[in-house]
Amino acid sequence: MTRKSVLQLLGVLLGLGVLMACSLISPETSFAATHPDGVGKGRPMCSECHSTDVAKGALKPYASFDHTPTFVTNHKYQANQDANSCATCHAQSFCVDCHGGKVPMKPAIKLSGSPDRLAPHRGDYLTLHRMEGKMDPSSCYTCHGRANNDKCRACHR
Amino acid sequence: MKRHTHVALLATLMSATAWGQEVSLYGTTMAQMWKQETPGFEKATFTPATQYLGIDATRLGSDRLSLHLFGWGRTDLADVSTFDGSKSGGHLNYGYLQYRFDQANAEIKAGRITVNQATGFEQIDGVSVRTDLRGGFTVSAFGGKPVLYKTVDPASQKDYDFQRDFIVGTRLGWRMPKLGEIGLSYLQDGTKSAKELPVPTPVDYTRKQVAADLLLAPGTVFQLRGRTIFDVADHAATAPGIAKPSTIAEHDYTAIVKFGSKVTVTANVAERNFYAYFAGTNLPSLFRQDEKDQFKGFGGSLTVSATGNLMVIADYRRMNRESFGEVNRFGGELRYASTEKHYMAGLGLRSVSASKSIRVDPASPGRSLSHTELRAWSMIERNRLSFSLDGIIQQYKDGNPYLNGLTSLYEVVASLGFQATTSLKLSGDISRGSTPIAKDETRGLLRAEYRFGFGKKGGQ
Repeated sequence: MTRKSVLQLLGVLLGLGVLMACSLISPETSFAATHPDGVGKGRPMCSECHSTDVAKGALKPYASFDHTPTFVTNHKYQANQDANSCATCHAQSFCVDCHGGKVPMKPAIKLSGSPDRLAPHRGDYLTLHRMEGKMDPSSCYTCHGRANNDKCRACHR
Repeated sequence: MKRHTHVALLATLMSATAWGQEVSLYGTTMAQMWKQETPGFEKATFTPATQYLGIDATRLGSDRLSLHLFGWGRTDLADVSTFDGSKSGGHLNYGYLQYRFDQANAEIKAGRITVNQATGFEQIDGVSVRTDLRGGFTVSAFGGKPVLYKTVDPASQKDYDFQRDFIVGTRLGWRMPKLGEIGLSYLQDGTKSAKELPVPTPVDYTRKQVAADLLLAPGTVFQLRGRTIFDVADHAATAPGIAKPSTIAEHDYTAIVKFGSKVTVTANVAERNFYAYFAGTNLPSLFRQDEKDQFKGFGGSLTVSATGNLMVIADYRRMNRESFGEVNRFGGELRYASTEKHYMAGLGLRSVSASKSIRVDPASPGRSLSHTELRAWSMIERNRLSFSLDGIIQQYKDGNPYLNGLTSLYEVVASLGFQATTSLKLSGDISRGSTPIAKDETRGLLRAEYRFGFGKKGGQ
């Protein structure tokens, strides 16, 4: 690690230390570690039970976390900003089904007994990826750009 | 990190589970089997066995301290089924200690973690912290050694390990109750850019990105989410006469409007410039930075919850890649779930029209990329038994150069499961399909899923 990197790390840690020393930390209690009730099978709609008020801590309407089709395909912002909310119901292993960095099989095979779940690359995706990749390679890059590309390397050399 | 360091770290983490007052262990054991007969090749039988294993140990001396481990291993019991020729393999996906504070949603994680802070979605061996601040502010940061994956050619890509020596990221957000959130983030992956190398290269494995993200959610009716990522790295000068690449890596914004509790309309617009967006890839032969290519797309969807059990979804997306032209994707889906979710079913149709694409097959531009996909599935649960059926058909244009003379491919998967105890579920799949490589393909899979301990999450 270079001196520059060490200084950057120290800078970040120092910055956080200063913030704490200045008593800027929110006095609010944290999210519950686990959801108090089971949410059942399928995709939950948080707003069905919760009022229109905002979710504690996240300060967003509960409807922001409704597991709609749009949420399921595009949950990166919620995971980025409110991972604690996700963690009340989901263990980290749930994320690893798709976002493992390196996984031994495509999610559609691992989750083949749960066709209701969104699992990328169902069917013969080996053929389909030649078309999808030409149309929008940036959609491949999200998962396979820096990880999960052992199989890609077999042909894309 | 060296192998023995990994082993020592893992052993230390594993031993920490002994201190946990609540320990849950969960795993999935899978055995697959299929045979392959390809003209010109020897017959092969593949029987890969895969083991996933996870441990969550909470209340490690303190209610707030916990340990989380998850990884997998695999081996081929017959012929080698991997593309790289390895008969066995494995990976530690994560292994970290977490300390959650009672106040301010503050937490610290240390070990092998997956971070999705700032603009990054990274696996690192390092530390991440986050906390809420007074006044609606929130701050998070992470730093460590990025988990590096194989490159295509380690000899020619030795700079990959050298450049990606350290990764750090931070995000500062401001939350306004009943209005939304704005955030500003910074990510730096690697400290030695390509232009600083003794022998400069066209591929830069480092990234320096600044991003602004936005959420407007004044109520449950309307929501706008999105982000813009800027490439702030100091790249080598471009050759005379060649335009400088855009410093915008990505715009991605989605608006959601709800009409009552039944109807939702979404709209999305995205733009990505590959030179900046593909920075840091370990596969530059595929995600090419030297192409000053660009993607633009926009589209939307309509979701109607016709009754409490039935959902209808329609969507459309127009995509334009600078070097390949324009394609239109549209489709629809019906989803049904009984009230207790013991019966679920879905029917979906997706179609891609590529009549305006330009590069793939100049003689017939629409032929190569255009296709239609039909999928139908259902699943039933009765007491301890579960059954699912999932079928997918992909229909391509005549003469598609990728299909060895075929025009339609299919796959059907039938799965039968038995919940033997509350901790153990056994299931088996059989699938049949047709691909350009195997015109008839039958595969079998056996699966055992188990969970022991006190943990309430996971698999959910």
